[in-house]
Amino acid sequence: MKFQRRREKIVKKSGIFVLGIVLIFGAALAEAQEVIKIGSIYPLTGAIASSGMRSKHAIETALDVINNKYDMDIPFAKTEGIPNMKGAKLQIIWGDSQASPEVGKTEAERLITQEKVPLLLGAYQSGVSKSTSFVAERYKIPYVCAESSSAELTERGLKYFFRIAPTDAEDSIAFFDFLDEVKKKGKKVEKVALVYENTEFGVHARGEAKKQADQRGYKIVADISYPFKSTDVKSEVLKIKAAKPDVVFHASLLGDMMLFAKAYKELKVDFNVNLSYCGGYHDPSFVQNLKKDAEYFMGQCTFSPDFITKKPALGKINEMYKKRSGVDFDGVTIEGFTSVLVIADAFNRAKSMDPEALVQALRTTDFPTPTLPGDRVKFNEKGQNIMIISNISQVQGGEYRVIWPAQMAAKEMVWPFVPWDKRK
Amino acid sequence: MDLEILLQILASGLLMGLIFALIAVGLTLIWGVMDILNFAHGEFLMLAMFISFWMFSLWKIDPLWSIPFTVAALFATGVLTYKVVIKKVLNAPGLTALLATFGLSILIKNLAQFFWTPDFRHIQGAILSDHILSFWGLNLSLAEVVAAGGSGLITYGIYYLIFKTKTGRAIRATALDRDTALLMGINIDRVFALTFGLGGACVGVAGALLMNFYYVFPSVGSLFGILAFVTVALGGFGNITGAFLAGVLIGVVETAGGVFIAPVFKYTVVFALYLVVILIRPKGLFGW
Repeated sequence: MKFQRRREKIVKKSGIFVLGIVLIFGAALAEAQEVIKIGSIYPLTGAIASSGMRSKHAIETALDVINNKYDMDIPFAKTEGIPNMKGAKLQIIWGDSQASPEVGKTEAERLITQEKVPLLLGAYQSGVSKSTSFVAERYKIPYVCAESSSAELTERGLKYFFRIAPTDAEDSIAFFDFLDEVKKKGKKVEKVALVYENTEFGVHARGEAKKQADQRGYKIVADISYPFKSTDVKSEVLKIKAAKPDVVFHASLLGDMMLFAKAYKELKVDFNVNLSYCGGYHDPSFVQNLKKDAEYFMGQCTFSPDFITKKPALGKINEMYKKRSGVDFDGVTIEGFTSVLVIADAFNRAKSMDPEALVQALRTTDFPTPTLPGDRVKFNEKGQNIMIISNISQVQGGEYRVIWPAQMAAKEMVWPFVPWDKRK
Repeated sequence: MDLEILLQILASGLLMGLIFALIAVGLTLIWGVMDILNFAHGEFLMLAMFISFWMFSLWKIDPLWSIPFTVAALFATGVLTYKVVIKKVLNAPGLTALLATFGLSILIKNLAQFFWTPDFRHIQGAILSDHILSFWGLNLSLAEVVAAGGSGLITYGIYYLIFKTKTGRAIRATALDRDTALLMGINIDRVFALTFGLGGACVGVAGALLMNFYYVFPSVGSLFGILAFVTVALGGFGNITGAFLAGVLIGVVETAGGVFIAPVFKYTVVFALYLVVILIRPKGLFGW
């Protein structure tokens, strides 16, 4: 009797157990039908993992906005999931490039062949975007590049490649327009030094800067390529010091950029302007770590907290992002955020996960979004976003303030770059 | 080129070289005594830097005063590494020990990223920061000068310990011939633990000194690690004086090569120098 009761108990228990399993797997199965997987490759470990992780936070913020319901004026915020696909939710499958083009390539292969993603998003560094997008092209999978700035990426004739960020070519034009304007006011900007890492990004940024400088009659007094991930940049800075430039251009990522700023101070190298291409300058860690030594550096800018006063919707997403990352959006991360919106829009119009349909949708993108200057994303036949506008920001009082062009400016530019001796 | 800039190149190179030397001395000590290349050495350095960083940002303890703590912590890390990992593979064939330390380096790096995020962190407002010594047209940061001085001092300390003390004699005896040392009554297990601890202590000092002027992030060890390996090989495996001089040489060559040839080739010059030395003297400059 007693024995039988125990058996009954066991049977009952296992019944509940099996029911539980069915429920869990059933739920997973039901959910699996509503999930759209996107492959995303970023430097999540290694020398620039901090930048990669920020992009990851931005992309996850965008997923949150798209997949859940929020009351704000950001596309896809007011609905749950992708409206035209029965509210299917977006999901990111992460790949880690470890800041290396080769590792990134392997990750792209894995995401496409193992995870079967219909679309890739990436990859921070231009070099990694280059290698990973070749893989996507081979498998005929659309590739959305959020933030890589090497102009060459959209000059390769790829059919599946789309880029949100402005290129170094566009930034160079903006930079020299700015310098021309300053020059007209009688300020000294003739002698230019180009400082760049010896990577895809650095070399092409330098090429674009040189092209503009030559065309407009600026004199290049130093042309300095240095190894990415240096332990020390004194020799570079000594060469700059010897050349006595008025303007220094940087195509440098965070670690190197911090070393440069410190070495400028230590070796008392002064100039009138220090302008950065999309890179280490933009990472809020630059200001957080260097504090007052980061003052007056300038750079290309597609996001500044100044924009929030002009577009309140940005304030809400900035809060959401800040909760994850601890810092405000910057140009690079807002490009990551916007990329996910553009991808969501492509799925919404393609109404399918078929790569060909997605590419078709991406090609015909004409997507209004308040998240980027230009307020719209539209690609040309090369896959480049033609609606984005580059501004220039300067670090003032520990914040990135927009100083150019005049109609976007929130602050007057501080001129010149205040000499190290005269700073408190 | 101005004389000032020439002098500056020499001085800056020398300062950086002394730091390389201190990192390399710990590595070469372990190699010399145990024939083990500690691949996690760079990660030990990262740990020391993080300890120093956290002591500063949580409790406002200046990196200078955190040296005793980083030294103690890294000595303990070294001993623990020996007891838990190295001891088990000491007599295993071939590359086992090397691979074990390699695995350890990946573990430490990833744990650091997990707990402390991959952010770059930097200290502002330490006693030594923001002071620049200017004389004869030279500009030297006080933090680097102190780090270089400390580095020289510690290297001498290690040298003294190894060559002038009884413990040092035991370490050298073990390095020369383990079995005979054992027969002479030397507790080689303790000698090994001590060696690993000392290797760790060296980067303990280096890490705290570096924190005054360098940033830390979980992969920072690999930047310095590779240069430390070259320094050790250039100076002659296991030779403390060799590692010291090779470190200084590498620092100067790197900076001078960067200025006179091209910055992009500065590491190429260092590695070329290494290759030339290895071709002429396979055992390194001071190897035996």
